[in-house]
Amino acid sequence: MKPGFVITSMTALICSAASIWAADVSAEHLFVRRIAPLFAGKCLACHGNDESKIKGGLDLRTLAATLKGGDSGKPAIIAGKPEVSPLYLAVTRAHENEWKPMPPKDADKLYAEQLISVKQWIAGGAPWPTEERIQTIAKANEVTWSAEDGVTVVTSGGQSPEWTNRKYKLEGLWAYQPVKKPVPPETAGNPIDAFVAAKMPIGLQPAPAADRVTLIRRATFDLIGLPPKPEEVASFVKDPLPDAEAFTKVVERLLTSPHYGERMAQHWLDVTRYADSSGFSNDYERGNAWRYRDYVVRSFNADKRYDQFVREQIAGDEIEPENPEMLIATGFLRMGPWELTGMEVARIARQRFLDDVSNSVGETFLAHSLQCARCHDHKFDPVPTRDYYSLQAVFATTQIAERLAPFLPIENTDGFEERKYLELRRNEYLARLTELDDVLLRNGQRWLIEHKQDRAPWNAAVAAARGQSAANQRGFSDVFSAARSALTKQNVPESEFPPKLVGFSPEQFGMERVARKGLERLHWELDRYEPVALSIYNGRTPQVSSIPVPFRMPSNRMTAGDLEETCVLTGGDPFASGNNVKPGVLSVLGAVLKAPIPETIEGRRKTFADWVASAENPLTTRAIVNRLWLWHFDQPIAGNPNNFGSTGKRPTHPELLDWLTATFVERGWRFKTMHRLILNSDAYRRSTQHPDRKTLGDKDPAGVSYAVFKPRRLTAEELRDAMLTATGELNPTLGGIPNRPEINLEAALQPRQVMGTFAAAWTPNPKPEQRHRRSLYALKIRGLPDPLQEVFNAPPPGFSCERRETSAVTPQVFSLFNGQSTHSRALALANRAVKETHGDVHALTRLFLLVFSRPPSADELQRCLTHWRDIEALLVDATSPAQKPPFEVRRDAIEENTGEKFFFNEKLHPYTEFVPDLQPASVSAHTRALADVCLVLLNSNEFAYVY
Amino acid sequence: MFTKNTETAPRRWEGRNEESAILSPTPLRGLPHSAAQIQRRQFLYSLGASLGSVAFTSLLAAEEKKNPLAPKPGHLTAKAKNVIFLMMEGGPSHIDTFDPKPMLAKMHLKEFLREGKQKSAMESGKRYYVQSPFKFAKRGQSGADMAENWTHLAKVADEICFFRGCNVDSVNHPTAMYQMNCGNRFGGDPGLGAWVSYGLGSINQDLPGFIVLPEVSYPQGGAANWSNGYLPANFQGTPLRAKGSPILDLMPPVGVNKARQRKNLDLLANLNSIHAAQHPGHDELAARMDNYELAFRMQMQVPETLDLSREDAKTKEAYGIGQDATDAFGRKCLLARKLVEKGVRFVQLYNGSWDSHDYIERAHGNLVRGVDQPIAALIADLKLRGLLDSTLIVWCGEFGRTPDNGVRGGTAYGRDHNPNAMTLWLAGGGCNAGHTIGATDELGMTAVAGKAHVRDFHVTLLRLLGLDDNQLTYYHAGRFKQLSQFGGQVIKGLLE
Repeated sequence: MKPGFVITSMTALICSAASIWAADVSAEHLFVRRIAPLFAGKCLACHGNDESKIKGGLDLRTLAATLKGGDSGKPAIIAGKPEVSPLYLAVTRAHENEWKPMPPKDADKLYAEQLISVKQWIAGGAPWPTEERIQTIAKANEVTWSAEDGVTVVTSGGQSPEWTNRKYKLEGLWAYQPVKKPVPPETAGNPIDAFVAAKMPIGLQPAPAADRVTLIRRATFDLIGLPPKPEEVASFVKDPLPDAEAFTKVVERLLTSPHYGERMAQHWLDVTRYADSSGFSNDYERGNAWRYRDYVVRSFNADKRYDQFVREQIAGDEIEPENPEMLIATGFLRMGPWELTGMEVARIARQRFLDDVSNSVGETFLAHSLQCARCHDHKFDPVPTRDYYSLQAVFATTQIAERLAPFLPIENTDGFEERKYLELRRNEYLARLTELDDVLLRNGQRWLIEHKQDRAPWNAAVAAARGQSAANQRGFSDVFSAARSALTKQNVPESEFPPKLVGFSPEQFGMERVARKGLERLHWELDRYEPVALSIYNGRTPQVSSIPVPFRMPSNRMTAGDLEETCVLTGGDPFASGNNVKPGVLSVLGAVLKAPIPETIEGRRKTFADWVASAENPLTTRAIVNRLWLWHFDQPIAGNPNNFGSTGKRPTHPELLDWLTATFVERGWRFKTMHRLILNSDAYRRSTQHPDRKTLGDKDPAGVSYAVFKPRRLTAEELRDAMLTATGELNPTLGGIPNRPEINLEAALQPRQVMGTFAAAWTPNPKPEQRHRRSLYALKIRGLPDPLQEVFNAPPPGFSCERRETSAVTPQVFSLFNGQSTHSRALALANRAVKETHGDVHALTRLFLLVFSRPPSADELQRCLTHWRDIEALLVDATSPAQKPPFEVRRDAIEENTGEKFFFNEKLHPYTEFVPDLQPASVSAHTRALADVCLVLLNSNEFAYVY
Repeated sequence: MFTKNTETAPRRWEGRNEESAILSPTPLRGLPHSAAQIQRRQFLYSLGASLGSVAFTSLLAAEEKKNPLAPKPGHLTAKAKNVIFLMMEGGPSHIDTFDPKPMLAKMHLKEFLREGKQKSAMESGKRYYVQSPFKFAKRGQSGADMAENWTHLAKVADEICFFRGCNVDSVNHPTAMYQMNCGNRFGGDPGLGAWVSYGLGSINQDLPGFIVLPEVSYPQGGAANWSNGYLPANFQGTPLRAKGSPILDLMPPVGVNKARQRKNLDLLANLNSIHAAQHPGHDELAARMDNYELAFRMQMQVPETLDLSREDAKTKEAYGIGQDATDAFGRKCLLARKLVEKGVRFVQLYNGSWDSHDYIERAHGNLVRGVDQPIAALIADLKLRGLLDSTLIVWCGEFGRTPDNGVRGGTAYGRDHNPNAMTLWLAGGGCNAGHTIGATDELGMTAVAGKAHVRDFHVTLLRLLGLDDNQLTYYHAGRFKQLSQFGGQVIKGLLE
C-alpha cells in the first residue's frame, strides 16, 4: 500500500478505532480479527512458517513460543504491558537501539491502526485462543465483521491463503458488478439530464444553455478536432429552427465528416500509445505503424461496433487470417516501445513484450493496470499474480513481425516517391564504407610492415576476398574484414595480421559506425513503402539474439523455436519458475468466459478477445463509455479511465455510467449513437458561465455537478490544426504515410544518440501541402517529439494516456509566441485576411471570424487597428532576405572507440527541393504588420480555450 | 525561414560581450510568482503550529495549486539543499577508475567462461580477462583508491565517499539510464530532479528547479531521462542546450526587436483582459497571462545566467576553461556552481559516452582527462564558497563494466556492460566523505559487500535532502507512485 493512501485513509480508521476496537471488542476477538492475520501476513515468514529458517530464534506460532522469546532471552510479550513488550517496541520502529525495527523492510512497516491493535491486544492480556475457539469466534462474528471490514472475493487464488481470503471494501468492487440498467429518475427529456439532475446539489441551479457561436465551436472541436468555418457558424446562428433542433443538425453534419474519425482516433491512439518508432536504444522507425493509425480512423468513421473493434485489435489475424485489414488491426499489440538489441538478453526482451501486452490489454480495454500483479498478488484489487500470468499465457504464442499485407484500395498510398531521399542516403553510406575499406587495406599494409609480419598470407586472403566481394550483395566493398575472418577461420594467430579497424582516426571510426548503423536504420525506414503491416503471428518463439532489421514471419513458425509454457514468474523475474498456468482471464470475472481458452498455438487470442468484448464484461463496457464521456466533457465519470480498481477514483454518477453502458451495448456498441445522445443533452449544451458563481463554488467545489460546462484548453494537435485551418493552409487529405512538418529547426537538427550512431536529422517534407497535414499524421518519433506539441502536453507515447494534462508552463510561450511556426502561420493568416477583403476594418473583422468565430467589438477593433499602424511604422527596414535551407548539418560528437572528438556532415536531402511557406519578403509591409496582430490573436486565451 | 546553422551565437536583446557557458534548453517549466506570494506561504508555515492540521494542510494545498514550485520543507532534517548530478553516460568502468583489481593482471588474456542464462549477444564468442591499463594509487588521508590519471580529483579525495555496492537491473543503455535517472527501466517516469523539485520546490522562482546540461548530442533514451513523467509539467528538467539557443525559441525570430515584442505583449494583455472580464471564475486564464510576462523576463535573465565573462580568470583556469580537453565540461561545472548559487535545486550534467567496448585505455584516458580537472575544481570551489556542505555531488554512470572482453582481445581491449558491479561516488551534502563503502569480488564482476539496489541509492539521495521516499508520493492513474517504485532502504554507510 502506498503511504499517501495510508495517510488519507488513516484518519477515518483511527476515528473508527475508538468505537470498534477500544470499547466493545474483547482482546480475544481482537486477536482473531486482527492479530492472527497480522502475524500470518507480516511475521510468520521469518518467525515460524519454516522451522529451519527461524530468524533470531523467535517463533511466533504459539503463545508459549512467543512468551519464550528469541535469542535475546526475553519474552516477546509481557501480557498487559505493551510499553515494555519487545514485540510491540520492535514494530513501533522507535526503539532501534534495543529492538531491531520489525518487519525489517521499511516498506513492510505496520500502519498506525495495526500498531493500535497490537498495543490493545497486549494491554488486554494478550489472549491467544485455541484454533477451535478461533473458528467459533470468527463464525459468530462473520456477518458483522464483513460489513465493517469488507467481503471476500472468489478468484483463482493468491500466493498465500491470507491473500486469497482477504477482505475487500464493497465500494472498491463497484467495477466488477454486472451492469444493470437503472431506470432514469424522470422519464421526460434526455435520461442523461435526469441522472445529472438527480445528483445536482440542492440549491444549485444549472447554468443556461450556451449561445450558438459558443456551441458550434464546442461541438466542432469536440467531434472533429477543428474549428468551425465562419460560414458554418453563420449558417447555424441564422438557422430559424429552435436551438435544440438546429444544434442536432450541426451534430449530424459533424458525425458524417471524415474528420470525425481523425478526432476519435487521436483519443484512441493516446490510450494505445501510438508512435512511429520503437523507442529505447535504437528508436528504429516503425515504417508501417501508420497503417494501424489509419485503420483506427477508418473504424471510427465507419462507426464500427466497439466489440468488433476490440476483437480485431486483439485477434484480427485469427478472426480473418487472409484479410490484410485484420493484420493491420493487431498493430495494437505492437504499440509499446520495444526492441531487441545484441546488448540485451533475448528472454528479458521477450518478457518485456509480454508484460507490455498484458498491461496494455488491461489498461486499454479493462481499465485495469495489471502490472502490479506482475511481481505479486495485487495489493488492492482481486487480481492474483496467477491471473496476470494466465492472461499473459494467452500471448505466449504471439510473436512480433512486420508481416506482408497487401495495400487495401481504401488506404492512401500517395507520396511513396519520397523514398528517393532515403536511397540517396543509402548510396552515401555504401560509398563511405567502400572508401573506408580502402583505408583499412592501406593501413593494414603499413601495420604488417611496422609489426614485421609476413605479408604473403594477408595479401592472399585480400586477393581471395576481392574476388568474393564482387559477388557481395551488400552493395559495398568489405575486403578488409573478409580477409580478417578468412585468416581467423584458418586459425592464423591474431598477432600476425592487422587488427580490425586498424589505424583509423577518430573521424574514420566515427564515419564507419555512422554508415554501417545508418544502413541498418534505413531498412526500417524503407519498409514504410512496402505492403507490410506492423503485426504479430502465432508460433513458437524464434531464437534470435537481436533484431536489427524488420522481422518477417518465418515459414517454420510452428516448428522452430521454443513453445513457451507460461508459469508464475515470482517477483517478476523472467528466469524464475513458479507454478505453470494455463491461458485464462481475470478470474474475478471468470464467469463471463463462455469457452475455455485453447492451449494450442493458434486460437488463444480469439477466445480471449470474445471474453474481453462480451456484453457481460462489466469492465470493458463501462471502460469505453467512461472514456467517451471524458472525450465530451473533459472529465470522466470514474476519475481514472485506465484504473477501475479500488485505488482509482469512484464514479461521480454511477447510475448514469451504468445507464449509458447498458444503452451502449443495447444499441449495438455504436459510438455515433452515444455521441448523439450525449451532445443533445442539456448538460452538454450548458454555458461555461454560471449566473451565480458563489453558489456554484459553495455547492460544487469539486466541479462534478455538470451545472456548468467546463472550458478546456485546446490540445497540442488542435492548436496546430486550428491555426492551419484559420490560415487556410490545412491539407485535409485523410491517412497515408506520416508527414514531417517543420519543427523548431534547432530541435530538428539536434543530434540524438542511438545505439552506435546518431539518428538522422528531422527533415520536413519539401512541399507546404505535404507539411500542412493534420497533426495526427505527423511522424511520431519517440526520441524526438515536436517541441511545440510536447510543451502543450501531447503525451509521450511511453505510457497509455488516459486523460490529457493542460499545465501552463513558460516554454509554451517560447514556442507559441517566439517560434517560427506561429510566425509563419501569422503571416499566412494576415495574407489571407488582406487578400479576401477590402480595407483594414474588413480585414480585421475577417481575422476575428477566422480565429474566434466572431467579429471584433468596437474596442477590440480600435486597439487592433492602432496596433497594426504602430507596428507598420516600426518596420523601418526591408525584411531580411529569405535564408537558405540547411542542406547539411555538422555533427560533433565524442567518438566511442577513442574518447576523442570527431565530426561529420550529414546531408539533408529533402531540403534540396524545399518550397518554403509564405515568406515576409513576398508580402507588403502592411500585411507583415498585420501578421503581428495575427500572432497576438493566435496566442490569446480566447483562441487557446474552447468554451 | 532558416538560420544558416546552429552554431551562431544565441540571440539576446542587447549586445554585450558575453561568454556563453554553453548551453541551451527546451522546456523551461516555471511559473511566475511574486515575492508577496512566497511571503504569504512562509506566513502560512508559521501558522501551521497554531492552526489545526487539517485546515493548515488545505490552506497549503491551495497555495501549492497556485504555485507548485514554491519552496517547501522536506519530511526530515536535510543535510543537503541542492544536488549536482554528474552523469557519466555510457557506463564508466569501475575497474579502470576507482575499484582496482590487481587479480586481473594475473588473469590477463586467459579465457573467460561466462555461465548463466543472462547472456546477451554482446557476451557471446570467445572472451578473455583483461587487466586494467591504468595504474592505481592511494589518495588523500583516507587512502582512496583512484586510477593515477585522476590527478586533480586526487587532491580532493578526502571529500569523496565511494560506493562500490550499487546494482541495477538492466544491461542495456537506455533502460539502465532510465533506471538510474528515473527509478524505472522503461522511461516515462519522473526524473530524480523532478521528484526533488516536487518535494522541495524551487528557491529561485524565475529559474526552473531542475536544470540539465546535456552534451551537444542527447544521450540514448533522450529527453525522457529528465522527464517530469506523471508529475506536473512544472517539474520537468529544463535542458540548457550545449549549442545554439540555450532554450528553444527563447528569442523571437530575427527581425523582431524588443520594442516590437513588448508592443505585441501589450496588445495580448489587453485582449486577454477583455476576455478574462467575460469569463470570471476561469482561473487558468490568469496563469497563462502571467506566463507571458515571465517568459519576457527570462529572455533577459537566462543569457545573463549563462554569461561566464564576469567570472575571474583564475576561477576559469581552475575549471580548465580554455584548455581544449577540459573546456566543455569545465564550463558546465562552473555553470552548475552558478546555478546552485542562484537557487536551482537540481542540476544534472551529462558527459560521455563512456561506453568503451574497445580501446579502453585511449577512450577512458581521454574521458577522464576531460572531466578530472573540472570536477575537482567544482568540489574545491564549492568548498571555498561554503556551499559544499549543502550541495550534494553525485558521480555515476548507468552501470559498471565487465572484467572481460570479447573477441576484441588482441590489441583493442575494452569492457562490456555490467549491471552487477559499479562504482559511484558522492561528495559534499552530508555524505560520509573519506570512506569507501561496499566491495566487489576480486575480479570486479559483482558486488559482494554492502550490495544495494539502485532504488536504495535513490532513497538515500532523497534522505540527504530531507525527503522520505515513502512520503514523497504522487497519485497518478489510480495509485500512489514514488521514485523507488515500491520502497527502498537508506544505505546508512553513505551518510555522515
